[in-house]
Amino acid sequence: MMDFGTPVLEPGSANGTKQVPQFNPYQDNGGTVASIAGDDYVIVAADTRFTLGYSIPTRKISRVLKINDKVMLGTAGMQADTCALHKVISTRMRMYEHDNNKRMTFNAVSQMLSTVLYYKRFFPYYTFNIVAGLDDKGEGWVCGYDAIGSFEQRKIVCNGAGTKLMQPVFDNQVDWAQSWDGAGKPNLSLEQATDLMKDAFTSAAEREITVGDTLQIYKITKDGIQLEEFELKKD
Amino acid sequence: MFGGQDSKQHTVQPYVTGTSVIGLKCADGVVLGADTLVSYGSLAKNRKTSRLMTVSNHCSLGFSGEYSDFQEIKSTLEELMISEYCMADNIPMQPRAIHQYLARVMYEARNKQDPLYNQLVIGGVLPATGEGYLGLVDLLGTNYESEMIATGYGTYIALPLLRKAYRPDITVAEGRKVIEDCLRVLYYRDARSIDTVQISTVTKEGAETTEPFKLETSWDFKKFKAGSRLIDESTW
Amino acid sequence: MTSIGTGYDLSSSTFSPEGRVFQTEYAMKSVENSGTAVGARCSDGVVIAVEKVYHSRMMMKGSLRRVHFVEKHIGVGIAGLLPDGRQMVSKCREEATQYREVYGEPVPGRVLVDRLARFTHLYTLYWHVRSFGCSALVAAYDAEGPQLYMVEPSGMLMRYNACATGKAKQQAKTELEKLKLGELTCREAVTELAKTIVNVHDSTKDKLYELEMLWVCEESGRTAQFVPQELIDEARKAAEDEKDREDDDDDMDDA
Repeated sequence: MMDFGTPVLEPGSANGTKQVPQFNPYQDNGGTVASIAGDDYVIVAADTRFTLGYSIPTRKISRVLKINDKVMLGTAGMQADTCALHKVISTRMRMYEHDNNKRMTFNAVSQMLSTVLYYKRFFPYYTFNIVAGLDDKGEGWVCGYDAIGSFEQRKIVCNGAGTKLMQPVFDNQVDWAQSWDGAGKPNLSLEQATDLMKDAFTSAAEREITVGDTLQIYKITKDGIQLEEFELKKD
Repeated sequence: MFGGQDSKQHTVQPYVTGTSVIGLKCADGVVLGADTLVSYGSLAKNRKTSRLMTVSNHCSLGFSGEYSDFQEIKSTLEELMISEYCMADNIPMQPRAIHQYLARVMYEARNKQDPLYNQLVIGGVLPATGEGYLGLVDLLGTNYESEMIATGYGTYIALPLLRKAYRPDITVAEGRKVIEDCLRVLYYRDARSIDTVQISTVTKEGAETTEPFKLETSWDFKKFKAGSRLIDESTW
Repeated sequence: MTSIGTGYDLSSSTFSPEGRVFQTEYAMKSVENSGTAVGARCSDGVVIAVEKVYHSRMMMKGSLRRVHFVEKHIGVGIAGLLPDGRQMVSKCREEATQYREVYGEPVPGRVLVDRLARFTHLYTLYWHVRSFGCSALVAAYDAEGPQLYMVEPSGMLMRYNACATGKAKQQAKTELEKLKLGELTCREAVTELAKTIVNVHDSTKDKLYELEMLWVCEESGRTAQFVPQELIDEARKAAEDEKDREDDDDDMDDA
């Protein structure tokens, strides 16, 4: 009978297993994306710093994809995968429009992204996404994803390198998580949300070296999408 | 293990390599620069290999990393340009398209766990406006556009110099000098570099790559001399 | 036709008792229904000219192009069914690319046309395929100098000093035979070929036509290029003027 159990020892190797240099197809290019959703708006923010180890090869890359004038996608993680993912989402979105003769709703986009990510479950896109948009009633929402497509719909999400620094602030300031029954929870206006976003990123840029350069804030309202750029620390 | 051997070999480590390529976007075009050395580890294997190529009338390309992989890329690009020629539709392929094409080629290769071990710098002009275009692709498919680009040691040594020298209205003539200076500094500090270099300029008038030429160098700097110590003159 | 009703023309894999393959001959007939194409090998290169008959008054200039490039130094002119011709052109490009991949240099004209002819010939051998309804004029310039070839639907390949195919090939051949090709330059040949096409053009049947020309010559840096449009227009106009004058003279003689 054939024995499959005994490992073949590679001659000349220390512990009997062959050491093969492996190509690592992944890379972390930093970046943070965050979104705050309100009753009639949602804002998507992302920094433009592109890092490679301790280097900053360029200070101006986009991490955000406009899907239509009600929905946007923000992606942190590996730039090449981000680029590929954005291409896939763009084509899928266009095909959806041709097939259904209407724009993709926030719900449709959020479900599709999950499927697209999970399709590569065993060779994932190294990306951390948020999908932000207005629903049919015009209310703002945002979905946060992990790399393989599990997601959750919330009012506030941040993803990527600065998450650990920023999420607690948002939990406290937006979700009112410290309150058991939510009494006294504020209802942020678009301006307040924008200011909070700026503060959160400015603070993250203080301690997280992969956050910095420029903050792009996209404001989605019933009137369309507006971009505001806000300068962060460059060091 | 049963039959324990890999059925296919992939590049997991580069062997014959070129060092940094640098590029600067200018108001009226773009300048690329690279030395002409390919190394085999610490051996200077070939001292006069061109690491820049002219892709089309308005696009140049420079590489660092594995030479054989670049040759493969080069021949696919030449094939692309011939099919472009045969189209004869008078619509020139834009540098941006060439950049995207290479990004797809590199990304597909990395997806197959068989990367093309290069960083490629694409320089060109947009034929319509004459505006410069400068982009990078690496072995993982990472791709971006920037006003200044450097690969390898150039990221640490040349990129800060390029950032300092850059102005939106810098001309190709000025840019050429900056690139030459950067190559000189790289030559002083990068042990895998050489003082024979090429510079490629792309303007509306066309893409042109110089013959390899020697950089003028000076080794008289006090701090290059044996025995000199930083603290003797430091104000720190 | 002798074969009607005998059944010997139904398959390209059947010979007639006289030893003919009718299907292949019919394929050649479809070339003869098409506009005339002529080519000439000159002292400094090769020129190909094609009479592109407009099938519709509303067709836009430049559509259904009949001259193509397959490599930097090789151009092809098509007479006959255009879709079939494009298939040939695609094959040529494929072969040129493959040759470059293997040998790292541009394919010699001789090798390319040989491969094209073999490809064309394959389509004359099996019942389940249709022969190509077109002929390809191939112009190349390489180490062997300027070359002109023609591949016909039968897969027949010949190298020419000058050749003609299409509707008025007989008349065109007679005209081409008068040329002193050894002394002619490509620039002069443009005029001559334009004259040939204009003279053989049957304006009673096909009113509108476009003159398409390519050359591979010293002037084009030994690369395949369209002959500059001004040059074509000029040559065509000169030829048409001359033809009008001759026609007038003939009328006078008649009177």
